[in-house]
Amino acid sequence: MTVRTDGDDELLRAVAQGDRNALEALYRRHSPWLMLRLSRRCADPGLVEEVVQDTFVAVWRGAGRYRGAGEVPAWIWGIGIRRMIDGLRRRPAGIPRATAEGALMVSAEDEVLVGVEHGDLGAALGRLSPELRAVVQATVLDGLTTKEAATLLGIPQGTVKTRAARARRELREALA
Amino acid sequence: MTTTWHADDRTLAAYADGDLDDVRASSLEAHLFTCDRCRLGLAASTPAVPLDRIWAEVVDSIDAPRPGLVERTLLALGVREDHARLLAATPSLGLSWLLAEVVALSFAVFAANGADGPDANLALFLFLVVAALLPVAGVAVAFGPGVDPTYEIGTAAPMPGDRLLLIRASAVLATSVVIGSLAAIAMPGFDAIAIAWLLPSLGLTLATLAFGTWLRPFTAAAAVVLTWVAVSAAAVVRTHDGLTAFGPGAQIVCVVTIVASAMVLALRRAAYEEGIGI
Repeated sequence: MTVRTDGDDELLRAVAQGDRNALEALYRRHSPWLMLRLSRRCADPGLVEEVVQDTFVAVWRGAGRYRGAGEVPAWIWGIGIRRMIDGLRRRPAGIPRATAEGALMVSAEDEVLVGVEHGDLGAALGRLSPELRAVVQATVLDGLTTKEAATLLGIPQGTVKTRAARARRELREALA
Repeated sequence: MTTTWHADDRTLAAYADGDLDDVRASSLEAHLFTCDRCRLGLAASTPAVPLDRIWAEVVDSIDAPRPGLVERTLLALGVREDHARLLAATPSLGLSWLLAEVVALSFAVFAANGADGPDANLALFLFLVVAALLPVAGVAVAFGPGVDPTYEIGTAAPMPGDRLLLIRASAVLATSVVIGSLAAIAMPGFDAIAIAWLLPSLGLTLATLAFGTWLRPFTAAAAVVLTWVAVSAAAVVRTHDGLTAFGPGAQIVCVVTIVASAMVLALRRAAYEEGIGI
């Protein structure tokens, strides 16, 4: 396949016209990071693959609805993370879900190193406990609602709220 | 992109392996939204096999025909996928059929609205006849050779034929009863008599299914309906009152018919397995 160098916006417009090559170009460009980013948030590779597939099928069908608000990768990520939350909601508990207390758990040694390595905000974020940081990541960086973050992390909504409040307090103190 | 900062190869590889710490991973993720160069670098450390496989599945999905409106509605209501497909392929659950039912009943309601005196009784009688016959007609064209586009597939399907029949007949009956009931509510001076078609239509439908174990569904429906019309007409002529056909006596006959037909159907349901009336 010839590599297309058009911008995301042009590709997406072509996809809306039914151009399958444009979809493939978008897929080659954006599926690797999407898959890796989803994998960091879900320990089940089967679900991640399913979500990547659903996401690009949704891009194909929904390209006409993209209004050029924000960046295309952010739009694709928004579709992907919400599909994943739907997928997590459908499956029974007990199957590996999110990485809050699992794969993302970092050793105490690493914690200290991270704290040393980065200044200011980085250090403050790095010193948060993994549980608190997972909540900050889901709500602030991934832009999820409390309910969506709860599904992603496999914890009750109330816990998301209290952890977010605690993380805010700790960050404020660290940055003061 | 205008940014001058880029992640080095070690950082990208660590991220791809899931070894990068949260803080740096988060900042890299934000950067990836805007940086083609780092995305390409990351793609190099992503295993290509699952990506190619997923792409093949994406192509399959966008090539597959989209389910129609009826099927999507059923799926949204939580109906199983195979049942939704079977129901959506039922001619008398198609939009055109449902629309035809609404139109037929609307005419009857409209006629009743303009009528008074003895005419009102006649209009009510016509409404009851139409409402009673619609489910039978729907079930008659819901299955069987010649009308069912999935008939050949159905005979070869691993699902028992009688089960397919029951799923479809129940769905057709349910939609007809809902539409008929709404029409009954729209009748002028709504009265319990406006739903007197319910038992007759159930009796006619079940009798059709019972006779369908011997005859083609269409023939069975025609025989049952003609018998009903003849008997009702005789009763109406004798009593000079159209509503006799839906009176207490008729309702009792209907209950007996329902029970008898259900028994025949239970005993002879294997006939649907072997192919209908052939």
